[in-house]
Amino acid sequence: MAYRTIVIENDENFLEDILYVLHRSPDFEVSANYKSAQAALGQAVMFKPNFFLISVDNATMLNSVKNFVETFPGAFILGTMSSWNPVIAKQAMDNGITGCVLKPFTAKQLLDYIRLYSARGLHKPAELISFFSPKGRAGRTTLAAVLALLIAEKTGERVALIDADLQFGDLPMFFDVEPERTIVDATQDIRLLTPITLEPYFHKIKDGVFLLASPARPEYAELVTPESLVDVAMMSANIFRYVIMDLPSGFNPLSLNLCRISDLVYVTTMINSGFEVKHTKKTLEMFESQAGENSKIHAVFTRVNPFTEEQREKIAEQLDYPVDVMIPNEYQMISVANSGRLARGLPQDTLLMKTISNLADEIIESGK
Amino acid sequence: MATAKGIERSSVIISVFSTTPGIGKTIVAINLAAGLASEGYKVCLADLDLQFGDVLNYLKLTSKTTVAGAQRALLDHPKTFDVRKFLIDYSNNGITFSILPAPLYVFDAYQTDINIVKEIINDLNFCDYIIIDLNSMFSALNLAMLDISTVINYVGVIDFLPALKNYKIGYDTLIRFDYEESKIRLVENRADSQKLINSNDVERLLGEPFYHRLPNDYPSVKKSINTGQPLMFAAPDSKLTKSFGELVGLYSNRPHSQGEAVTDIPTEKNSGGLLSKISNFFGF
Ligand SMILES: Nc1ncnc2c1ncn2[C@@H]1O[C@H](COP(=O)(O)OP(=O)(O)O)[C@@H](O)[C@H]1O
Ligand SMILES: [Mg+2]
Repeated sequence: MAYRTIVIENDENFLEDILYVLHRSPDFEVSANYKSAQAALGQAVMFKPNFFLISVDNATMLNSVKNFVETFPGAFILGTMSSWNPVIAKQAMDNGITGCVLKPFTAKQLLDYIRLYSARGLHKPAELISFFSPKGRAGRTTLAAVLALLIAEKTGERVALIDADLQFGDLPMFFDVEPERTIVDATQDIRLLTPITLEPYFHKIKDGVFLLASPARPEYAELVTPESLVDVAMMSANIFRYVIMDLPSGFNPLSLNLCRISDLVYVTTMINSGFEVKHTKKTLEMFESQAGENSKIHAVFTRVNPFTEEQREKIAEQLDYPVDVMIPNEYQMISVANSGRLARGLPQDTLLMKTISNLADEIIESGK
Repeated sequence: MATAKGIERSSVIISVFSTTPGIGKTIVAINLAAGLASEGYKVCLADLDLQFGDVLNYLKLTSKTTVAGAQRALLDHPKTFDVRKFLIDYSNNGITFSILPAPLYVFDAYQTDINIVKEIINDLNFCDYIIIDLNSMFSALNLAMLDISTVINYVGVIDFLPALKNYKIGYDTLIRFDYEESKIRLVENRADSQKLINSNDVERLLGEPFYHRLPNDYPSVKKSINTGQPLMFAAPDSKLTKSFGELVGLYSNRPHSQGEAVTDIPTEKNSGGLLSKISNFFGF
């Protein structure tokens, strides 16, 4: 069955192009085309359309996306843009759009976009989640990896893991993979990429979980600018419902920029000598001084012992900030991560897994 | 090495570096400083883990002066700048060494200028030994410090596969960056901790033997941190204290009492199925 398509485009040339492409494809049947959102909203219902191409180059049309989503629930609504603009793509997602495509396009590309955005999950904006740690060795990577596996399993939606710990990223080793393409390639190419062409830079770990690997040599980290990585993360948000980022330790232009665009930041610290709480406090102060507020910043402590509510309160008091997540000590985890078997089977029914599972549930709930 | 003022630097700079965080750099740095001071040398320990330095924490000290203050002073009054005003002393039982503390606030740490820090370190030339505690990245600051160091004390704990990977990658990177092998001293910490990876395999992997191996001794380290004293005071009779004594001997050319024998740490022969995995990963 061909898609019953409505085209809304106010640029004559693009309109001509789009109609030409659609008319020649057996997969699309153009029901009508309009130059304004207003006209389309009034009349399109007569055609029982299930596919929309709306130009989001135009601010009025971008804003009207909400109305289309409301009037045509279940329809595929793609925003068309003449050059890839991450901010507009994000606004369109906030308005409930299925996804954006770059003009001009072929019918085959349109089908690719439909496949990509169907696999992505709910037509909701992505959750960008950063794992920050002041000094490292915090259990940050383990937590990010397990969380990605659990969210994908629970939701059936697509989850990206971006290994932004550029010099010493451990995620490829955790999963026992050596992807050919890394974050260096993705950031160098990003200006020329679209969601469809960015997707193959991710290495499939298992159903629903994809990894953008850190480079093989520490000095390659220099090739990655914070701006280009921000662009990669924002484009990934079009391909994946959840984008989980493992950051380099401490404050640097890269970690600050990725935290800036994140919806959730987990400041992860492992309790060891006791001074870690102090480091976390300094971290929270720095975030506050940078952003003016800390509402998306959550404190996570790993290896908490004793694993009790009293201990949580004790840490929170020292920190003068709520402790959102406590992760218990789990030696078994080390051997699982050590062996690269993480994707093949997580330890079951342990307190550690239960805690991370609860965290996954909370994140899924907040993203609905 | 020439200082900014054109005087040949005479002090020995030992930087303590690793590519995995939390593996004992600060413990090593503090105990090197204390050990060298106890041999009568003039020692300064510079905490250049700028954002989250632990030297003051581990010695239960607080300080109003830090490297951030030194930077401001050097910028504002370059002519009258005296680095000594920004040092604080740690003293215990007649043994004293100076500390250049890390900034108190992350924001100040973030503003640090590498060239200024280089100048400040050069001004410490009145010391016999300058110990520099770093963090675990190939940052511009760390590389600048490794450049001016006499030796690089490159610490690793080989208890976790990613840590081994990072130790190997870090070593290869240092070599690629043209640091002479003779300048890099491989120091294994927590060497006898229960572990899955055999030290001999690690040495084979690195193509270089460990310069020194420090035993695992959590109770002593804990006592040291809890009392805010270097190990020689907090746990004078421990194996770890003795091992630090030997390391200090190696760095001061005065082998500690028992000669130059490195503490005998038994290596486990059975490295389990992991060796094949490491071999695959590193292709040896
Ligand atoms: N030889 C050792 N034996 C036991 N525990 C150690 C040893 N060296 C370090 N540790 C532990 O490791 C923790 C991290 O050490 P630290 O010196 O702060 O690491 P880094 O400076 O590399 O981040 C310390 O809190 C201490 O508990
Ligand atoms: Mg340290």
